[in-house]
Amino acid sequence: MFVRRLLYLLREAVANVLTNRTTTVVAVATTAFTFACVGVFLLLYVNLRALASSLEQDIEVMVYLQDDLTEQMRREIEQQLKADRAVGSLTFVSKERALADFQTQFPSESHLLQGLGQNPLPASFVITFAVESRSSEAMRRWATRAQSISGVTQVQYNQEWVEALAGMVRYIEVAAIIVGVILSAASVTIIANTIRLALYSRREEIEILGLIGASTTFIRVPYLLEGAALGLLGSALSLAILKAGFELFRHEIRSASRFLGVDTLLTFFPLDMCLVLVGVGLFLGCAGSFLSLLRFGEGRV
Amino acid sequence: MVWPLTPVRLLPLSPSMIQLFHVSKYYDRRMALSDVTLEIQKGEFVLLMGPSGAGKSTLLKLLIGAERPEEGQILIQGRSLSKLRSSEIPLLRRKVGVVLQDFRLLPKKTVFDNVSLPLLVQGASTAEIRRKVAEALRAVGLDHKKDHVPPGLSTGEQQRICIARAIVNGPIMLLADEPTGNLDPELTSEIIDLFKSINARGTTIIVATHDPNVLAQVSRRVITLDQGRVVSQEQVCS
Repeated sequence: MFVRRLLYLLREAVANVLTNRTTTVVAVATTAFTFACVGVFLLLYVNLRALASSLEQDIEVMVYLQDDLTEQMRREIEQQLKADRAVGSLTFVSKERALADFQTQFPSESHLLQGLGQNPLPASFVITFAVESRSSEAMRRWATRAQSISGVTQVQYNQEWVEALAGMVRYIEVAAIIVGVILSAASVTIIANTIRLALYSRREEIEILGLIGASTTFIRVPYLLEGAALGLLGSALSLAILKAGFELFRHEIRSASRFLGVDTLLTFFPLDMCLVLVGVGLFLGCAGSFLSLLRFGEGRV
Repeated sequence: MVWPLTPVRLLPLSPSMIQLFHVSKYYDRRMALSDVTLEIQKGEFVLLMGPSGAGKSTLLKLLIGAERPEEGQILIQGRSLSKLRSSEIPLLRRKVGVVLQDFRLLPKKTVFDNVSLPLLVQGASTAEIRRKVAEALRAVGLDHKKDHVPPGLSTGEQQRICIARAIVNGPIMLLADEPTGNLDPELTSEIIDLFKSINARGTTIIVATHDPNVLAQVSRRVITLDQGRVVSQEQVCS
């Protein structure tokens, strides 16, 4: 009984699509391009975020110590830093080690330090952060806190770079949300208009169904299914367009020698995110349909 | 929820199919029905006569819950329509067959599909649909046309398909709004005979018409409306 009704509703939904073939194709194509525009921002966001996260992993913070610290004081500072949950790993670099590193890294400049007589480089702790504390905001807060530890002269990390990147990711995030909302509303409107056309072309049938005792749900379901199908097809097609564009872009980057290796950093949406995007398309399609059904009139549908 | 086939407890013995008490209906400020009180018994064949604009169609619309009265009360089998929730209206309509002047058939669907529609929306099984559609088509004499589509049929045949659709799920009453408006006198006679045979099986029938040919063929109760008011109720013998 239920299967027969379901089959009827599915058949009606397919009939709706076939009756308004041109409108359906235009709606799917327009929805696909609209979703693709949102997708470009999302893709940019996903990649910049991945880049920021990979850079944050490499960031080391230098905690410079006073020259006159006793071994006991140095150990106390080390214990204090190790006890901090934000600290992932900690390495002590003595004054001698710092000098040796400098001489290794900058052999041609090492004579500059010889003229000073004594080793001017301070001892330090090199710190990397725990995964959950790698945001620029967390780092900034931690640096301020570490700076106030007695015996610490300076805390240094590549603050500007991290913050600039984090800022850019934030801007892209906001832009993606704004563009996403606007274009999603546009998609809903496009689908709503397509469904409205279908409703008007079949208004007599809808009236007949009402007259013979069809429930509101029975009348609405084919149109909701049609909206869902439009949204689903639109979002799936937009993913295909984005994937093609993405591969083309990656190919271009690969062939341009000055961006050597950058192509390996680029990633497309993972499968679960693709499924979520298709699901969002389906939901927006249903929403568009529902809006049209409401506007078409409670009394008739 | 199932539309009750028997009257509610307060009126257990009432043989009335339809009762209207001081019913008025306005469209904007124009009065379509004014203070209409009448009663139609179960199994009656009633003609609603009157000129265009008399309120015949409005009365039928009120009986299927397509319109709500501004004043008064309508009872069907003892149950007040004003107390029906919107979601219960389809349940009422499944018990009322409706035949219209313009047939309202789906042109792209076959006769079988058109007639089976009321059963489908109720969730009848395939076997039940086949059996009842065959019975309804046999009753209107068109079982051999089940695979045709309506545009390929004559107007008389289309009206009979419409009647088959209205009776396929065994309604408690059949409402017909100008069912012979598009038909010549010979076809009118056929359709009236069909209504008589349906009525003979116990279905209450109300036919709204201003066609004197119908009146000439029906020796039944006639309710005459004019400007929204009941002006006469009489038993007519042809």
